[in-house]
Amino acid sequence: MTRFVYQRLAMVPLVLWAVATLVFFMIKLIPGDPARVAAGRSATIEQVEAMREKLGLSNSLAEQYLSYLSQTLQGDLGTSIFTFRPVIMDLAQVLPSSFELVFAAMFINVALAIPLGVITAVLRGSPTDLLLRVITLIGATVPVFWLGLVLQYSLGAQLKIFPISGQKPSGVQIERVTGMTTIDALISGNVTLFFQTLHYIVLPAFVLSIAFVAVTARTLRSGMINVLESDFVLLARAKGVSRVRAVIRHALRNAILPTFTILGMQIGWMLGSTVLVESIFGRQGIGSYATTAVLQKDIFAVISVVLIIGVVVTIMNLLVDVSHRLIDPRLRISTGAK
Amino acid sequence: MTISRWSNFRFSALKRQNSLLSIFDKLIFILIFFILVLAIFGNFLAPYDPYLVNLKDSLLPPSSEHLFGTDVNGRDMLSRILVGASSSLLSTLFVIMFAALVGVFFGTVSALGPRWLDEIIMRLSDVALAFPALILSLGFAAALGPSLRSAVIALALTWWPGYARLVRTYVLEIRHKEYVDAATVLGVSKIRLIFKHILPNALVNLYVQITIDVSAVLLVISGLSFIGIGAQAPSAEWGALVADGRNYILAGWWTVMIPGVVICITALLFNLAGDALRVMNDPTLARKGEK
Repeated sequence: MTRFVYQRLAMVPLVLWAVATLVFFMIKLIPGDPARVAAGRSATIEQVEAMREKLGLSNSLAEQYLSYLSQTLQGDLGTSIFTFRPVIMDLAQVLPSSFELVFAAMFINVALAIPLGVITAVLRGSPTDLLLRVITLIGATVPVFWLGLVLQYSLGAQLKIFPISGQKPSGVQIERVTGMTTIDALISGNVTLFFQTLHYIVLPAFVLSIAFVAVTARTLRSGMINVLESDFVLLARAKGVSRVRAVIRHALRNAILPTFTILGMQIGWMLGSTVLVESIFGRQGIGSYATTAVLQKDIFAVISVVLIIGVVVTIMNLLVDVSHRLIDPRLRISTGAK
Repeated sequence: MTISRWSNFRFSALKRQNSLLSIFDKLIFILIFFILVLAIFGNFLAPYDPYLVNLKDSLLPPSSEHLFGTDVNGRDMLSRILVGASSSLLSTLFVIMFAALVGVFFGTVSALGPRWLDEIIMRLSDVALAFPALILSLGFAAALGPSLRSAVIALALTWWPGYARLVRTYVLEIRHKEYVDAATVLGVSKIRLIFKHILPNALVNLYVQITIDVSAVLLVISGLSFIGIGAQAPSAEWGALVADGRNYILAGWWTVMIPGVVICITALLFNLAGDALRVMNDPTLARKGEK
């Protein structure tokens, strides 16, 4: 087991190196003069020249690549031409808020998909199964950004059930501790404020989760169908285990592991989808940071977002792999299988 | 087996497959055909000039004159959606076709080529697949400069590893089948073996994924346009239409509502079509209630 963890850990720098190299190629793709782009539109000729010197653009490609790698390793992702701060500082500022949103969306995803997967598997072939699956499929094919706008308009502006945008009541100051608004509100000891911030996160988290619910429910459903038809579930039923108990204790426990893997992978994907959700709901985060950077033509900031999300995805995949092994003893035997 | 018996066999197999398609499935394929026709001939079918600004007719609600209403610049929404179909759908299809071609190439090379090449291609696809496609193409498109063309190139570059992986699996599965061994024994050349015996059978399964992926790529392309890195104004790409309308949603809900519904319906149709094809390939799924 420890050997497996070390093996996986050894892969991490390799993958990160691949991600960084990919990002380097992205920067090389920028047409025209990258120094001009990095310095910003209003830069003087001297500033552009200074930027060229700083980026090492007069050096050979190999030298540029090496200095890029060492800079990235030191956390130097360049300076935003919009906020005039190091991009890494900007990202550290906004990331907790995105994680908060992703965790909330993950909670909704699990809360919806697990019952959906179980019910549709148990009732497979019935009208209920068909209806529920069509609804989840529509959820998967709705454009996220559009769903956000429509729910904001209908549930927010028209019915006033949810706040339209933002992440805390206006005019309220919450002391920043973790950077996650709900947690910070809780830390401040103001329970009403905590529920208010929770109220703000429901709609964006729901919008973010919807596309993932379909995938999760579908994975669980097909896993459940296989397990439900297996002999040990039949045996359990024959021995007098109630139907509910057979489904929950015997079938679900065995069918849920592939779903865990999917959920782990979805964390990275959700973080990517914040690009489509956060700016609509006026939330701080890596997604809205990327959207603003796109509009400001702050290309290095956009590309840094790619790098950071790549790092997060890599770490998440590592955690998923390792915890998967911890949960499922069967996997520990077949180490090294292709 | 004579040629005529062979063709007879194929025909009956086709007929059997045909009966597997329910009326519902046939309707899906007809609708997809209809949408593709609209995408190709959208420019000719548009009742008004989709780019003509006419502030007098700003934000008219849907009526018999303007079936889908008008946007803030008085442009007919129906015409814009029709023209937008060609940018949204044709660019989606381009991405899929490019990615599928590259994927088939690298997948086959990976499965049949030397081991070290297989390792490189698969590790590369590991990295690409772990990445959210939206973010990876966001980076590429930002580097290339915001435009629909950049979005298409970016997505094509990021979408193929999934296909390479699928094709590799299918080819590995098939290359050890008896009929492939039989062909090898009969002295069929390696090239012919790949193109006539292995690939056609491996690709049957790929069609399912390709069809379902149309909806996924469509959603990403429109998403990129929505955040402003794909199609640029005055383009009528569907995601850009939603972005155009978002500031006027209170005054004219149709400017946001209709393009979104159109994207959703199109994505749904391709998804359902993929499911129908899957069942056609593997009829046991229908019995299991997978469909």
